[in-house]
This record gives sequence, structure tokens and C-alpha cells, in this order.
Amino acid sequence: MTAHGTDEAAPAATTGAKPVTATRHLLAWVAGIGVLSVLPWLAVNDYHRFLLDLILINVILAVGLNIVKGFAGQVTVGHIALMAIGAYTSAILATKFGFPFWLALPSAVLVTALAGAIVGIPSFRLEGAYLALATLGLAESVRIFISANDYLGASIGITDIPPPSLFGLRLDTHLSYYYVVMPLALAGVYFSFCILRSNTGRAFKALREDPLAAAAAGINVQKYKTLAFVLSAVYAGCAGSLAAHMTPGFIHPNSYMLAEMVTLLLMVILGGIGHIWGGIIGAIVVTIVYDLTRDYYNYQMLVFGMVIVLTVMYMPTGIGGIIDRYIVTRRFVALRKAKGDAA
Amino acid sequence: MTIGTGAGLRAAVSIALLGAGLAAQPAAAQDKTIRVGITLRMLVESGIAYGDIAKTVMESVNAKGGINGAKVEVILLDDECKPDKGVANVNRFIHQNKVHLILGSTCSSVTMPIADITAKEQVPQIVPMSTNTSITQKGSEWIFRVSVSERFYAGAYGKYLGENVGKKIAYLYTTDGAGIAFVKQLQDYMKEHYKAEPVYQVQMQETDLDFRSHLLKIKSTNPEILAIAGQSDALARQAQQSFEVGIPKRVWRVAASSAGNVTYPKLAGEAAVGTTFTQAFNCADERPIAKQFVAMVKEKYKFSCPDHDFSQAWDAAQIALVALGKANLKLTDAALADDRRAIRDAIATIRYEGLAGGPIEFCAAPTPQCRDGNRTAMLVQYTKGGENFETKVVGRVSFDKDFGLGK
Repeated sequence: MTAHGTDEAAPAATTGAKPVTATRHLLAWVAGIGVLSVLPWLAVNDYHRFLLDLILINVILAVGLNIVKGFAGQVTVGHIALMAIGAYTSAILATKFGFPFWLALPSAVLVTALAGAIVGIPSFRLEGAYLALATLGLAESVRIFISANDYLGASIGITDIPPPSLFGLRLDTHLSYYYVVMPLALAGVYFSFCILRSNTGRAFKALREDPLAAAAAGINVQKYKTLAFVLSAVYAGCAGSLAAHMTPGFIHPNSYMLAEMVTLLLMVILGGIGHIWGGIIGAIVVTIVYDLTRDYYNYQMLVFGMVIVLTVMYMPTGIGGIIDRYIVTRRFVALRKAKGDAA
Repeated sequence: MTIGTGAGLRAAVSIALLGAGLAAQPAAAQDKTIRVGITLRMLVESGIAYGDIAKTVMESVNAKGGINGAKVEVILLDDECKPDKGVANVNRFIHQNKVHLILGSTCSSVTMPIADITAKEQVPQIVPMSTNTSITQKGSEWIFRVSVSERFYAGAYGKYLGENVGKKIAYLYTTDGAGIAFVKQLQDYMKEHYKAEPVYQVQMQETDLDFRSHLLKIKSTNPEILAIAGQSDALARQAQQSFEVGIPKRVWRVAASSAGNVTYPKLAGEAAVGTTFTQAFNCADERPIAKQFVAMVKEKYKFSCPDHDFSQAWDAAQIALVALGKANLKLTDAALADDRRAIRDAIATIRYEGLAGGPIEFCAAPTPQCRDGNRTAMLVQYTKGGENFETKVVGRVSFDKDFGLGK
């Protein structure tokens, strides 16, 4: 258990549970892929498929934010600007230079990764609220720059961003687009697992707990802070590009404002900051709750604000933390029972 | 590691359950009901009133037995002037609510992407408030605009100013879509008709509070006209500060149509006096229908002088009702596509006279000539600012269908 929530290694260590086999891991992933593959066919109508696309894009975005905020403990509120950079790069490349989606997407990811490195620079010297303010400033600068730049569509936005095509087939329905977004979301989630389990992930956690102690232990703080921002930006760039190319292919600076950042933060906080499933759970819950409360537009933002406050006050580890606590308790009880039986 | 996988499996199940939950949401009712989706910006008091007017007008027919016996059901959603929200709303209207007709939106930046969706999904869309010229230029057979296009507004300004006031214009505007369009089109008009270049122009941010440094520079250029644009609160600051820096009253203040929003004269106070702007409707209109409407808005929504977004919401809803009455609707699941087509064809035949300054008339071709139905712009001027502001109509110009479309 950590100050920021739970992670995989800690409860396993406390309970002394054996690591699962690679086969069980593989089976879990195969099952996940199987469920996700048929999910859009279970949806009653195209609106639900649209929501599934949206959920998966938000999963990519939230998992990315969880890397920098949850794993590495950097307080950033500029993530939405990275998404905007990804979206606009992809849109410009596709509409003005004729790049196909399959080339525009990786290009957007690269540009956003570079932007992520720049956004990460203030984190060398700033922490906490100061870093939040700096990243907020950067985020607003990006939005304002877009709004004032005719080449980027200014306040009119960019229209007619083409959907991806595969062997001449336009993937412009919500169903077909799902099969573009879903593999990328799965890859993103898998990659975040890999990061957390790697030396890099351990360095991130050390940074999160105490940067001074991490530095004393030989961790290059600047390098890993920058890396956290860059990795997080890769996700944001990918999500931005996917959002831009989704039918009807339109982007506008109003979609990258502070309210969107707050919603994104809510996904990570509600899901569980630093919890490996936090971003995923949060993205799913928030996107669905947002949709279900759409009819109550007068109170929607009030409800969302209250959920953030109440979550931070009474459920600081989020839904992911509750799940972990439940599992740890169950294991502990089982272990005691087993010891009792043996005695 | 074990724990991670356990949580993973649970999360996978949760995804499936939530998916099932989504799938279990009730589908739209199918019993002789005409379903209409309305998406507007309803963040502010007046915005909520626009939505309520449109919804109330449409549902009022239910008390009289509906339209040809069918009940009208309105689903009203807020898009916050954000394209992604508008797109989500319209996707929900079309695929989940199975609406027959869509009204929306307030902001051009929302109307443009949803116009692409309605064109693709073949659902008729009435645009109540958006003014961006390009909305009807995409060639969609499914779109009809009730609001006045920027091309007509720019013409009304340009013609009146060029012939009656002068050609030395300084521009101060913010990064607001409608404001930028207003400035660009006015500049194009002045350039094309009078070879007049701006004496000064600057674009600032929507959130900027202090415009005085630029206004001082504008003062030094000695313009005949000061064109200001932005959302109504930014406009109010621009107008107030223009007097603070000493730009004389004889310099005409012309503003984008957002000056017609009730918050502008309230915030600007006496600085609003003399500001000239274009509108599709004016609350000082003496016609009985207009007087009745103003009295209704005053009583129900407490706005003493409703702006043209009130009237456009009302006109759009009335036009929708006329079309729904004219279309021979079958109102079955299987006939949804046919019904949508019938409504589109019915709107295309409408010639309507309501609160707008002139008739609103559509035709079948998917061109701006046919789909920019309202071609009458009114030039309105504030004669008193503050809470109890007053206005007068300076001029009213009706345009030819082809006006502003180039050769």
C-alpha cells in the first residue's frame, strides 16, 4: 500500500501470494480480447457503439494520465493540451498534406511525445500546486494558440478530417472504427502494465514516494520525470488523433478546455490514482455516467464536481483501491483459514 | 501479480456488465409519436430560455391533440457550445431516440460537425441560430437555416456603413468564431465594393479584460467606424474602454450580432448607446405577433427585450411544426427513413412569416440559395443602455438569394 493508492507488487508481497503463471496472464488477455471483440455486436444501436469508441479513447487518455500522475506522482493539469496537440497534428497532416490516417497517427504521437518532453521541463524545478499551475498555463497557451491561428482553423475548427481506410474501405461507421480504437486501447493498457512492472515503473514509483530518496538511490530524477511526461504524451497523442479522425472528423479548440481536463482528472481519481486499472475503470464509469446524466444538464457539472470532492475525501484510492482492499482482505482471510486448518 | 490479474478479470466483467447496462437502456417509444431532438448551448440563463421556448412551442400542440393525432416528444440537450458534446447529442438523437427531426445548434462550431452527421444519416436538421456561411455550402440535402447567414449580415453592415457613415474602419475582435466571421466578411465587403482596407485591426483572446492599449492606437488612426466583435461580455468591455481612452462618440461603434444579447447593454451600460449591430428580430417591432411574443417572454422568462435568439428558437420550432403537419408521416419503425425524407421535403416547400424581419423561405436544391431561408437583416442601434435598455431599427435589408456567394 502506498500513499497514492495501491499497486500490484505491494499487496502481493504482504499476502505472500505466488505469482501467477504466464499461462494465466495469457488466458486473461485472450478472454479480455474475446469480450472486447464481440462487445459492439451486443450493443443495441449505433449510439452505444459510438459510446464504446468514446470510452476506449478515454481509456487511452486516462491510462496515459495515470502514468505521469499515478505512477510517477507528477501533478499535471495540462494533459488535455497534449491531446489537442495530437488531434491537431493528425488533422493538419491529413487535411493539408494528404497523410493517410495510418501515417498521421504515428506522426501525431511523435509530435505529442516531443511536446510531452517540453511540458515535463517545469517538473524539474516545480512540484505540487506550482507544477499544476505551470502545466495549466501551458495547456491554456496551447488552446489559445490554436484559437488564434488561422492555419489551425482558429475558432472555426478543422472540418472534413478523413476517417481511416483499409484496403479501400472507409472505416467511417462507429462499428468499423471500434476495431481501429480497440486494439490501440488494448495495446496501451498492455504497455502500461509493462511499464509498471519494469525498472522504469519502479523508478517512477520511487519518484512518486520521495524524489530526494530516489535521487539518493541513484535514480536520474530528471530523466525519469521527462520519461513519464513523454510516455503519458504518447497516449494523449494517440487518443487525440483517434478522436480527430472519428466521424464526423471535426475538431475545435472548445473541446480542449479546463472542464475537459477536470473530467479527465475525475476518471483517474475515481478509478484510483496509481492503481493499474484506475484509468480504465474511471474512463468507463465517467463516460457512462456522463452520458446517463446528459438529460440533467443543469446539474451535471455540479454532480461531477461533488463526485471529485467526495471521492478525494472518502475514497482517496478510488474504485481500484476498493477492489484491491477487497481482494487483499479475502486473501488474508483465506490464508488464516489455511493456517488454521493446517494447525 | 495475482492481485493484478484478479482485478483485471473483474474489470473485464465490469466492462461487460456496463456494456450490457448500456444495451439494456430503453429504446425510443414507437407509438404514434413524432420525436424531435434539440441541441443548443444552454449554459446561461438566456440559453436555457431559448431551449425552453423551442421545447414548449413544439410540445404545446399535444394539448390540442398533437399533429394529425400524433404526439410530439421533444428531447432537449445542452451542447455547451462544444462540438464533441453536440456530436454526442446528435448521435444519441439519431441512433437511440430515433428522432424524426433535429433542431440545432446555437454555435456554428457545433452546427458544422452535426450537419455532416445529419447529412450522412439522412435526418432533417433545422438550424435555429448559427450564422457561419459555410454551414449551407456543404451541399447537404438535409439542412435548413432559419437564422440569417453571415453573408447577409456582412452585406447589411457594409452597404449601410459605406453609403451613410464612412469607409475608415478599425477592427478590434476576439477569438470567437462568429466574431471572426463578422470581421472577415465585413472586411471582404469593404474591400470588394469600396477598395477600403482596415485602418487598424487586432485580434485578442476571448478572456482578455483590457483592450485599452489597442484602443489608444485605434484612436490615433482617427477612424470613422470602430468595429468590435466577440462574445457579449467582451464586447461590453470593448465598448466601455473605447470611451475611457477618448474615442469620440461621433465614431460609429458597430458590433457583431452578439451585441444583441441582453447581457451586452446590461454590462456596457451607457457605453452601449450608439452601438449598431445586426439582428434577425428587434424587440421594438410593432407587429402584433412580435408584441405578443415580447409580452410572453417578459412574463415567462423575465427578459424585457428578448434578443433574436429567442425569436429564432420560436421561429424554428414553428417552422418545424408546419413541416410536421404537412408531411404525411407513417410513424412506424419501418417507415422512419421515409418519414425523415417526408419532413425534409415538407420543409423545402415552406414559406413562413413569423418573428423574423422578413419571410423565411426554403426550396429543394441543397444550395445556400435554397437553404439560407432568412435573407432579411435588420440594423439595430442602442438608444439606451443598462438594465432597461432600448433600441431602434436603423435599417432593414432583404437580400437576393445569391448575395455574398461570389461569382
